[in-house]
Amino acid sequence: MTSLVSARNVSKSYGAVRAVDDVSFDIEKGCITGLIGPNGAGKTTLLKAVLGLTDCQGSLSVLGLDPFRQRKELMQNICFIADVAVLPRWIRVHQLLDFVEAVHINFSRERAEELLARTKIPAKAKVQELSKGMVTQLHLSIITAIDAKLLILDEPTLGLDIIFRKDFYSNLLGDYFDEERTIVITTHQVEEIENLLTDVMFINDGRLVLDASMDALPDQYVELLASSENADRARKLNPIFERDVFGKKVLTFEGISRDELTGLGEVRTPDIADLFVAKVKGATA
Amino acid sequence: MIRSQFALLQRELWEHRAIYVAPIVVAILMILASLTGQISVDAMEHVDIGLVGAANIPENARSAVLSGIMISLSTTFIFAMWILTIFYALDSLYAERKDRSILFWRSIPSTDFETVLSKLLTALLVIPLITFAMIVVTHLAVLLITSVWIGVRGGSGMSLVWGSAPFLDNWTATLVFLLAIPLWLSPFIGWFLFVSAYTKRSPFLTAFLPIAVLPLLEKMLFDSAVFAEAFFVRSIKMPLFVDLSTMESLFEESESFAELANNELTLLGLMDFGGFVTSPGLWLGILVCGLFTSAAIYVRRYRDDS
Repeated sequence: MTSLVSARNVSKSYGAVRAVDDVSFDIEKGCITGLIGPNGAGKTTLLKAVLGLTDCQGSLSVLGLDPFRQRKELMQNICFIADVAVLPRWIRVHQLLDFVEAVHINFSRERAEELLARTKIPAKAKVQELSKGMVTQLHLSIITAIDAKLLILDEPTLGLDIIFRKDFYSNLLGDYFDEERTIVITTHQVEEIENLLTDVMFINDGRLVLDASMDALPDQYVELLASSENADRARKLNPIFERDVFGKKVLTFEGISRDELTGLGEVRTPDIADLFVAKVKGATA
Repeated sequence: MIRSQFALLQRELWEHRAIYVAPIVVAILMILASLTGQISVDAMEHVDIGLVGAANIPENARSAVLSGIMISLSTTFIFAMWILTIFYALDSLYAERKDRSILFWRSIPSTDFETVLSKLLTALLVIPLITFAMIVVTHLAVLLITSVWIGVRGGSGMSLVWGSAPFLDNWTATLVFLLAIPLWLSPFIGWFLFVSAYTKRSPFLTAFLPIAVLPLLEKMLFDSAVFAEAFFVRSIKMPLFVDLSTMESLFEESESFAELANNELTLLGLMDFGGFVTSPGLWLGILVCGLFTSAAIYVRRYRDDS
């Protein structure tokens, strides 16, 4: 079994609120999994449980370890960027390298310095003197230089401009990712990561509403762009969601053959954002 | 484990620069004050400064006077050290939550135990050792100034000051005292660490309110003084000294310098190290510190407020 992360019936409550509700999934080695959900869906809580930062019910195994009880061992092989503001503001770049070098057995200082040399980040600067984009570059450089098996990114590009965001993902793929490494990523800017992902999970109200490989999506989901007349016929095929675009109807179907829609309008695979809306809103409609 | 513990201690020095800046500032102020003569005058309030320079007084007396100067300099550092320790301990686990860097610190391969331990060790060892180093520097600088002062008046600073100052006795006693204070007051340090890990706001107020209110409440409700005894009497009655009154009189009564000199008493001779390490009060305090520190580790590990 090559599952890096294996969750079975994982739940986490804060008082009466069930932030994560009976979630089960596997994440395999070498995958880039997108965890997509609205605010308050339980994404961050789930990632915290995977990182051993919070206790949870159910069974959760990450790299064969119990994350909450074996966090120290786990952190030798996991890195995460939870938000751009997470690095301590008072620390200097060279201090950060010294510190990570001392605590991380897998850290290569040469590699980190080589990556930082490509940026405009001065070694003596304090984190608080750097722009948001630079802080993220710094964090990513350090994480890339740690030979971690699993990287968890929780809204890594929040608040960054488009140039930094594009650079972030191209560096992530170019410098960090290979078939030995695995990435789990959450973001609201789904369209930016859509073509990086190998797998996708949707979470809403603490529950997983979709867990699929990107390759399998075209077989499972189809979107029909139809005129109002054709839409009536298409509705008989039980679409999971329907919306209006420029006077036309867009209907999303799950688990039907594309042949059944022939002649009703333009047929395509929904993008992640549309599919997410269809799954989440369709479920509540 | 050891390497990462050193890295964690290093982090404390980077994050809380007051740990070394405060003693350096005190040292600079003391040396400056000594240059302008204020310290000498202050230290010599009860003893004629001429004693140091007088060639005809017994060696013991000169040594006692020099020890007095050294003690008076150390006292300021010790006072500053305790203030620093209070502020440091209260900030140590609060700052990382306030600036939201706690998630980063928890993403490194160190347990919450190791991290909180580094903060306890900073309060118990690092701060006293840095304070000690600055005390030694200040002693040397002030004695240098004094010997120049004597030299200008025609005396021999080399023999009158450097030959008579009881360095070994004074510094050893100072170091023992500096390491003993945080241990003796460790229940407070443990409490401050716990408050620092626990409180959502105003750690200072949260820490000191119970210390002020509990003895009052106890007095009003039960007419007893267990808390008052534990909080206030304990903090000054440290069983490190053979006879506390000797220590008090050393600072208060002018005769005691003479007494010290006549009896050839040393500072180390005033200390009862065995009595200190075997005193139940010390171990009870360390136990209380351990409980509060464990609670701080528990809170950092289980509370999810990031």
